Amino acid sequence: MDPKALAYFAAGIGAGLTIVGGAAGIGRLAAAAMEGIARQPNAAGEIRGAMIVAAGLIEGVTFFSLIVTMILALKT
Amino acid sequence: MIVPSLLLGAAATVTEPVAEAAPAHGEGARDISGVLMHHVTDHPFLGLPSKHLVFFVLAALLVILMARLALRSYRAGRVPTGMGAVVDGLVVFIRDEIAEANIGHGDGRRFTPLLCSFFFFILVAALLGLMPFSATSTGNIAVTLALATVSFLAQQWAGISKYGVVHHFGGIVPPGLPGWLLPIMIPVEIISMFTKPFALMIRLFANMLAGHMVITTLLLLVPLTAGLSTLFGISMIPVSLGLSLFIMLLELLVALIQAYIFTLLTAIFIGMYAHPAH
Repeated sequence: MDPKALAYFAAGIGAGLTIVGGAAGIGRLAAAAMEGIARQPNAAGEIRGAMIVAAGLIEGVTFFSLIVTMILALKT
Repeated sequence: MIVPSLLLGAAATVTEPVAEAAPAHGEGARDISGVLMHHVTDHPFLGLPSKHLVFFVLAALLVILMARLALRSYRAGRVPTGMGAVVDGLVVFIRDEIAEANIGHGDGRRFTPLLCSFFFFILVAALLGLMPFSATSTGNIAVTLALATVSFLAQQWAGISKYGVVHHFGGIVPPGLPGWLLPIMIPVEIISMFTKPFALMIRLFANMLAGHMVITTLLLLVPLTAGLSTLFGISMIPVSLGLSLFIMLLELLVALIQAYIFTLLTAIFIGMYAHPAH
């Protein structure tokens, strides 16, 4: 197969796997945060802050793999 | 007020690709990716060699201007109002929640100016990139490399200025480790000294780049579908504008969050080297 075609194929699969991992992680984080706020409504502010920090970190890792995928898709 | 300017931004970016894809490149879906890359990468601007650099300097000047305007309302010991109140709130938040909570009570104040510079610069650069006909300077990996290098130097300086060069590098491995673990821990700790700023760099760059690529891609759906059939293209216009408006609003939130996370992580890492009390 043409290497460029293989690269596009790999980029597509890579993008799909990236979103699976990222969304699963942030989904679990959001569920835990909701449960925490439901148990203790007056800790809602701190939980929200910690949730946003953790979501930013998880998203950072997701973007590492997204950069690899973009390099595959855009290499000429 | 924000919604019309966002719509203007959407309209500006939608007229640019249509105007460029039609005469310059000629046909269809093959050049859509070229237009996409043209919008997110760096190129000469108004006779100066680099658009990202122009907006980098512009963001820096805006931060300095913001600080000057804020200081003006502190004159004669008055309670700050207007711009001074906004900047005051943010700086106090950075000093109390970010610097002192992570670095410690005395050292936190020493590093607050650096953390405030990071926060305000990243925020202003990201917000400036949402204006029509502009570019996000932090969407260039060279700019985020520079920010991460400054962060790395600040982390090293935090340890070296407190403990001297020998004890700073001697103290990066936690004390009380069993001896057979040292050959593994020392390279791991040295590598982690470099991967932390590297992660900062990639995180900021990828967040800014990805946001703009998504917006440009959604807006490029219009000429892409218009290549198939004009009616399809026209019916895509409200869908595409609506989606890209939503993504631009999300970009506002992402700008704030990324500035906060960069500053917070820098403070945490500085705290790890200033107080290696494992």
